[in-house]
Amino acid sequence: MADQVVPGEHVVAPTSAADDVLRVEHITKSFGPVTALRDVSLHLKKGEVLGLLGDNGAGKSTLIKILCGFQRQDSGTMWLKGQPYEPKNVDNARALGVDVVYQDLALIDELSVYQNMFLCREQRLSLLPFLDSRRMKRETRKSLDDIGINLPRLDVPVARLSGGQRQSIAVARGVYSDADILLLDEPLAAMGAKEGAMILELIARLKEEGKLSMIMILHNYVHVLESCDRVNMIVDGVIALDKPTAETSVEELTEIVVDEYRRARLAAQAEEALRAATPDVT
Amino acid sequence: MSSTAASQPPASAPAGGPAQGRRTPRFAAAPLDLVRRFLLAREGSIIIVTVLVAVYFAISLPASSNFVSSANFQNILPYFAPYAILAAGEVFLMINAEIDLSIGGVYLFAPLMYYEIVGGGVPLLPAAILAIAICCAIGVVNGFIVAVLNVNSFITTLGTLFTLSGLTLIISHAEQQAMPGAAVTSNATGNHLTTFGSVFGAGIYSELIWAVVIVVVLQLALTRTRWGLHTIAVGSNRIAAAEAGVKVRWVLIRNFVVCSGCAGIVGILESVRTDSISPDPGTATQYLLYALAAAVIGGTLLAGGAGTVVGALVGALFLGILQDALAIKGVNADYVDFYLGLAILLAMMINVYIGRARRRSGLG
Repeated sequence: MADQVVPGEHVVAPTSAADDVLRVEHITKSFGPVTALRDVSLHLKKGEVLGLLGDNGAGKSTLIKILCGFQRQDSGTMWLKGQPYEPKNVDNARALGVDVVYQDLALIDELSVYQNMFLCREQRLSLLPFLDSRRMKRETRKSLDDIGINLPRLDVPVARLSGGQRQSIAVARGVYSDADILLLDEPLAAMGAKEGAMILELIARLKEEGKLSMIMILHNYVHVLESCDRVNMIVDGVIALDKPTAETSVEELTEIVVDEYRRARLAAQAEEALRAATPDVT
Repeated sequence: MSSTAASQPPASAPAGGPAQGRRTPRFAAAPLDLVRRFLLAREGSIIIVTVLVAVYFAISLPASSNFVSSANFQNILPYFAPYAILAAGEVFLMINAEIDLSIGGVYLFAPLMYYEIVGGGVPLLPAAILAIAICCAIGVVNGFIVAVLNVNSFITTLGTLFTLSGLTLIISHAEQQAMPGAAVTSNATGNHLTTFGSVFGAGIYSELIWAVVIVVVLQLALTRTRWGLHTIAVGSNRIAAAEAGVKVRWVLIRNFVVCSGCAGIVGILESVRTDSISPDPGTATQYLLYALAAAVIGGTLLAGGAGTVVGALVGALFLGILQDALAIKGVNADYVDFYLGLAILLAMMINVYIGRARRRSGLG
């Protein structure tokens, strides 16, 4: 299974190394007539930060949702630390050490900051089946202080917080969940420059510690080159580029996307021409 | 840590209220703040409205009417405790942004099952438990159709409501039956009531105790357990809840079971209390609508995501007091529903107004 097939003109992730913590091969996923992932293979080394790029609708979020156990692939295999990885659901993936920060944040407006932080990882009292709110608040405060996010109260519903604050809670929830693989889908999307910098700094610090391996979807190429060790670009449901960030540039990444648009336009024109040339059947 | 708290402006602190530092102990809050918190709690508004209504009638009704007496309180109980239990279960589903209309049918069906099982030679207590278990199974069916087959819960439970009412009529031939074991369950004068009878509805305060226990247990479950948290999550944002790992279907099915279970308990309590099984779909709808009214008046949102079991209990008490007081006042029976409707509208408008004040103040 280690040998990979190179589909067409696309560059595919190099074959597995021993230090791969996560590795996926030939993942496909369709939603009815729409193909989100045609054939995706990628790998993640221990302690590595992998930037996942791609145009809107390229299939990045779908891939993340498959990796975190929220959706299941149509075909293809996944390996986690050398073991077959078939998460039954998000909880199961989390138990195996894979956690995720969704693009839509997956926060519950009606629940408080600390309840959201511990949603599905609730701490319970030892004797009664009741929640240990005090402990959850304390640990939430510690995590938020650690990142540098200051919220005066942890028992207010998150609906009352700003977009940036909500996003930091979602990121903090992923980072402090004891996962060793963290998937981040646009972790800076709703943030101002100051909060964004705070999160990038957190990611840099986590990278330095080396315990956490991350796959991160970002749309800002400068941030990608700054924070990631390696980039993979999904074009049209396939990994079209796999390079260490040191060997690529904003120009190269931009060129791939521009080129994609150019090809899409040409294809559309060709189709148009074909349709014009074909006599109408009806 | 505390210095950062002091330097940070309280971004989301309640407007106009004292800024709550993170280290402020709960009881150090000024008494006024505690009062304000109570007034603005989800249950707060209906508690105030209920007290106001009770005080109004206590003053306006002549002393000879004995509105304020334990005898009258006992009169109110049957108009309040059963609805409180039904509403307590319904609250869980309404927080899920679902609704269960079948509780009326389950209420009707449970005593008939009980009757049939006892007729088959099973002792009273196991028969009652078995009948309630059957009701829970009906909840599983409701939950499965809604959560797994994705049929709208209003439609699904409308279907089970009619199905169960119809089934009750078919099995009972629409004939009223004497409650089995009446010799030990009836509270008729001169009869010796057994423990079973007095626990299951025939004791004077039996239904009240059931209601209070069920409400306390469910309120604790709602606010202090994983299950409650996940119930709120599913009702507030189903997709986000699923993404975070909440087992949405399981939560929904479980809440349908609780709702049907509560309805089954009420069915048995009521038929033991009244000594009879009357398969009348009219009462089924009445119990259903009163329970829904109690839950909504109590402060549970039909839209889901928020609710309170204690509020439902007080909502039921509000309805009970109103009915009782109108009866004492000698209001023509034709007018009772009319006044009840107006009172519900008024109570809800006050509720919404207080709710808006609550949101403005930044409290849950």
